[in-house]
Amino acid sequence: MLEVIKSGLETSIQDYPGRMGFLNLGFPWSGAMDSWSLRLANILVGNEAGAAGLECQYIGPTLKAQRDTVIAVTGADMQAKIDGVDIPMWESVALSAGQTLEMAYAKTGTRGYIAITGGINSPEFLGSRSTFHKAGVGGMGGHAIQKDQVVPVAAGHGTPGRKVKASARPQLAADKHWTVEVVRGPNDDWIDEPGHERFLSTEWKLSAKSDRSGFRLEGPDWTFTDKAHNKLPEHGSDPANIIDQGYPVGAINLAGQTPIILVSDGPSMGGFINPYTVPQCAFWKLGQAKPSELLSFEVISVEDAQRKARDINELCSEQSVA
Amino acid sequence: MIYAKPKCSPGGDRFMLMEFGDELTLELNFFSQSLARAALDQKIKGVIETSPCFSSLSIHYEPDEIRYDDLRKELLRLANSLGNSGDVEVESRLLYFPAVYLDPWTAAAMAEYREKINPEKKPDPEFVAQLNGLDDVAQFVRVHSGSEYWCAALGFWPGTPFLMPLDPRCQLTAPKYNPPRTFTPRGTIGMGGGSTAIYPVDGPGGYQIFARTPVPIWDAQQRLPEFESQLWLLQPTDRIKFVPCSVEEFGEIERKVEEGSYVMNITDYQKVSLQRHKAWVEQLDISTRF
Amino acid sequence: MAHEVELQTAGNMWKVMVKPGDQVKSGDTLFIMEVMKMEVPHEAPADGTVSAVNVSDGEEGLDAGMVAVVID
Repeated sequence: MLEVIKSGLETSIQDYPGRMGFLNLGFPWSGAMDSWSLRLANILVGNEAGAAGLECQYIGPTLKAQRDTVIAVTGADMQAKIDGVDIPMWESVALSAGQTLEMAYAKTGTRGYIAITGGINSPEFLGSRSTFHKAGVGGMGGHAIQKDQVVPVAAGHGTPGRKVKASARPQLAADKHWTVEVVRGPNDDWIDEPGHERFLSTEWKLSAKSDRSGFRLEGPDWTFTDKAHNKLPEHGSDPANIIDQGYPVGAINLAGQTPIILVSDGPSMGGFINPYTVPQCAFWKLGQAKPSELLSFEVISVEDAQRKARDINELCSEQSVA
Repeated sequence: MIYAKPKCSPGGDRFMLMEFGDELTLELNFFSQSLARAALDQKIKGVIETSPCFSSLSIHYEPDEIRYDDLRKELLRLANSLGNSGDVEVESRLLYFPAVYLDPWTAAAMAEYREKINPEKKPDPEFVAQLNGLDDVAQFVRVHSGSEYWCAALGFWPGTPFLMPLDPRCQLTAPKYNPPRTFTPRGTIGMGGGSTAIYPVDGPGGYQIFARTPVPIWDAQQRLPEFESQLWLLQPTDRIKFVPCSVEEFGEIERKVEEGSYVMNITDYQKVSLQRHKAWVEQLDISTRF
Repeated sequence: MAHEVELQTAGNMWKVMVKPGDQVKSGDTLFIMEVMKMEVPHEAPADGTVSAVNVSDGEEGLDAGMVAVVID
C-alpha cells in the first residue's frame, strides 16, 4: 500500500507493547521507543492504540500511497509534507492515492511516528509486527524498510481533522536537557554511596553511538561496594562483572565503566550489573533525546513509576482527542 | 554461597530479580529453572514471563494485575515450597559441536579491537590461560573442551545459550571486555566470568574469545530440519560438547550447512541427575587439570 | 549561485573531506556524519568551489539543518 521511495535513516514497523513473552529465548520486546506518540497517532486514525505503525529515526522516509487513506504524524517534528505541502502534526490527515508523504530530518526530538488507518499488517513473528532490525526479526522481512518495498496496510476507516489536545502530548525538552526517572536496583547494592550520589548529580551526555539496542552515557567513573570487589571468580574480576542474570528492560547496564541504558532492542541477559532501571513511563524521553543532549536522573519509587505509566496509558485514548 | 532466602529486588516498574546464590552450580540453576516453570504453571495472576539464568530469576509482571510486594510474597512462598531439589532428574539432549580452537577469525576480531579500541588488550587465549594458572594455550584448549557444557538459560540475543561446564575441573574464569567489542563473528565461542557462550550472529560482545563453531544455533533461513519449526536450536537443559576440529573441517561443515545437507549430531536419550552429579563432583580432585 | 549544504541529521561529524578552495563535482562526498553507529555521507549538490567549511572532524552534538559547507 505504501511504496517506499526513500527509506530514511532507519525506519521500521513497530507496534505496542511489542513482542512480550520471549525474553527467555533472547528476544527483546522491540516496539516503539516513544509509545506515547505512536499510540496517540493510532487513536487519531481510528486504530487500536497498539496497532503497527512506522517509527522513523533522525531522517524520515518518503512514501507514496497506492490508495486513499488517512494518516497521522506524531513524535519528532520531521517536517512532514504531502506532495510538497506542509501538514500538521498531532492531527489526522487525508492521504490520497498517488500522493507522496515526505518526512525529512527531525528538527525537534529524534523519532517520528506515522500511523495509517487500518494499521500495518505485515506478518507477525511470535505475536508481534515489531522489528528487531539487527537480528532480522519482524518488520519487513526482518528489517527496517528499504527503498522499493511496499508496506502493507489493512483496510481502515479513519477521519481527517482529529487533533490531539496540546496538554495530552509528550513535551520535548527544549533546552537540550532531560530529567529521566529511575528506580533503584536491581543491583544498587553493588555501588557505594559516593557512587550513587555521583550518578544522581551528574549531567550525563548521550553518546551518538546510541541506538535501539543501547543508549551509551558519557560521564564520571562509578565506585563500588565491597560486594563488587570481593566475590567468587565465576562473576568475573572487574567490579561491574556479575554471574550472568536476566536484565530488566530499561536497565542502566554498567559495562565496565560505561553505563548503557538497555532500550527496546537491548539484550535480555548478561554479565554486567544494573544499579538502576529506567521505568516504562520515561522511555519516550529516551526515544526523543538527541546525541550530546544531557540526561539527569531522578529516583522515584516503584509505585510512583507505575502510577506515571498508568497516567500515560490513560492519555493514549480517545479522551485526548480535541 | 547459596542464600538461605532468595534476595528480591525491583527492576524498574515491571520487573523483579530474585537471586538464589552467588556461585555457579548445577543445583542453583536447577532451582532457577524449576521456580521459573512453577511460576508459570501456577498461573500467578500478573506474571507475564520468567527469565531464569545461572542462579537467578527475572520476572516480568503486569503492575495493573499484581503489586510488586504481592509478587515478592507469592514467589518467596513458591520458592519455599519447592524446597531443596531432592533427587531431581531432567531429560537432557547432548549436542556435539565441532569447533576450531585458536581460530583465525577470532584472532582477526581481537586484532581489530586492539587497533580501534584498546592496543593494550592481551590476546584472549593467552590472557585466560595465564589468569587461570595454565601451562599454555594448548592446555587451555584441552581444559575448555574437556567438559560437557550445561545450557542454563537462553538470553542476550535470540537463541544465545549461557553455558557452564559440568566438570568442575574445567571451570575457568575471565573478566569481560572493558569496554566491549563492537564486532564478534557468528559462531564465536567465548567466556565471561565462569560462563561460556556461543554468538549466534555477528555482533558486539564482551566475552573473551578463542574458538569458532560452524554449527548454526540460529537460522532465519531455516536451512536445516532442526530449524523447521523454530529459528533457534538450543534450550535450557541441553548439554554441548565442543569437539576440536580443523579449519578445513569447519569449511566443510559450513558448506553443508549452506546447502542444507549438514547432519547435526544430537542425542536425546539421557537424563541428568542432580544428586548423581553432586556425588560425582564431591569425589573429584578439582585441582587436577587435563 | 551559492549552494548551502545543510546537515541532514543531528549527530557527530566523523570526517570532513574538503577545505575552502577545493573544486568539487556534483555527487562528491563532502563530509560524513555519524549517528546510531551509522555513517551518513553528504554529497555536493552541484559542481563548484568550496567557499566555506563550518565543521571539523570529531565535532559532536551537531544539529540537523546547520549549514556545514558552502559551494560557489
